[in-house]
Amino acid sequence: MVFYYLNCRSLTYAQRTANLLERGGVTASVRRTPKSIAGVGCGYSVKIASRHLAPAIALLDKSNLLPKNIYLDQGNGEYREVFL
Amino acid sequence: MIYLDSAATTLQKPPQVAQAVARAVNMLASPGRGGHRPSVLAGEMAYRCREAAAQLFHLDDPQQVVFTLNATHALNIAIHSLVKPGDKVVVSAWEHNAVTRTLQSIADVEVVVAKAPLFNQNATLTAFSEEITSDVKAVIFTHISNVFGFILPVDQIAALCRSRNIPFIIDASQSAGCQPIDFRRLGADFIAMPGHKGLFGPQGTGLLLCGQNPEPLITGGTGSESRLQSMPEFLPDRVEAGTHNMAGIAGLLEGIRYVQQIGIEKIGHHERALMEYLTAEMVLLPSVEVFSSSGSSCQSGVLSLRVEGLDCETLGERLAEQGVCTRAGLHCAPLAHQTAGTLASGTLRISVSPFNSQREMERFIDIFSQCIG
Repeated sequence: MVFYYLNCRSLTYAQRTANLLERGGVTASVRRTPKSIAGVGCGYSVKIASRHLAPAIALLDKSNLLPKNIYLDQGNGEYREVFL
Repeated sequence: MIYLDSAATTLQKPPQVAQAVARAVNMLASPGRGGHRPSVLAGEMAYRCREAAAQLFHLDDPQQVVFTLNATHALNIAIHSLVKPGDKVVVSAWEHNAVTRTLQSIADVEVVVAKAPLFNQNATLTAFSEEITSDVKAVIFTHISNVFGFILPVDQIAALCRSRNIPFIIDASQSAGCQPIDFRRLGADFIAMPGHKGLFGPQGTGLLLCGQNPEPLITGGTGSESRLQSMPEFLPDRVEAGTHNMAGIAGLLEGIRYVQQIGIEKIGHHERALMEYLTAEMVLLPSVEVFSSSGSSCQSGVLSLRVEGLDCETLGERLAEQGVCTRAGLHCAPLAHQTAGTLASGTLRISVSPFNSQREMERFIDIFSQCIG
């Protein structure tokens, strides 16, 4: 299964993002941001299944709650940033 | 024991508060400090508490809810964010030392007091209208006087500030949990409140509701943007350096849920009804001077009084010996006493909570009568 990481600026931001997605029917979980994509260090992301990316972004855009950036979990410990 | 000092701290709390504190001590680590379960659980608890507070006080975003140590801490963050050396600030005549001492600590601040008689909302509004001039940098006012229970016309003062584009801070220490507070409608820059009074949280908890980005009062680790040597720009991390009081936050969440369950209107009504009964009985006692709003609706569940020929500290001690907990003295608000003319004597303060009953009021009057006899 393919996952995306919605990289958030803070834990609270990630929690709010995950809550909004769950309420909108998108399964989402808050995770530590993997070190290689954490940028300035110590961050949290929201992990979602790839099939949920489009509805998730639509929901977040509507609530002005977009993530800092989005990464595709390539499954081998590497992440690739995706641009929408 | 009859506990009548809830304006300082609500001692009687819903049992689920202590239960949540005990669970938190055993189960929760620090939010934002790890990906392991105790840290995740702590993060979820903190978020639920922010959400509950945002719902109770009508904020759009739980990120605007900042955890503090108490209302004083919250006020310090708010005041130091808005007030700079040399600024002119307007305050109400009923402010606590949490506001006045903090302002005094900033160099060359000109503090203008909007003076008006006790329990006179119209005069209070007029005084603010006269004092809020274009050179004022901030307005700070309490929602309810912690000494006299006077409910200030906060909606109108807030509207005045908004219409003149002056940022403002509301001290909701005595109103959070017993008076409706609508952050969105008030349009405040900051609202500060304790967790341990009307929200029934443990001591060591407080909230700062933020309408703008505050300046950090302390700096340190936040579990975010850790490579940077400046505090994050975003809330709540910007002003929440260091490890959170998770046991306190867990208890505060249960306290807020209790308030939501009972309802602010019902709590306020119960407290005012007890105070109206008490006032009506106390004014009948000879030599007792009661500070009350004489039937108007601008007094909360707080009552101050003096007894001729008996200093308030002695009276407080006599009551304590009989198992009655009240508060005597200046209540950390010399400005309020100066305004009311009680600075030299202080007052005895009686304050109630939803856990007080009519029967306790009746018993209190009996004991009080003996103590002054």
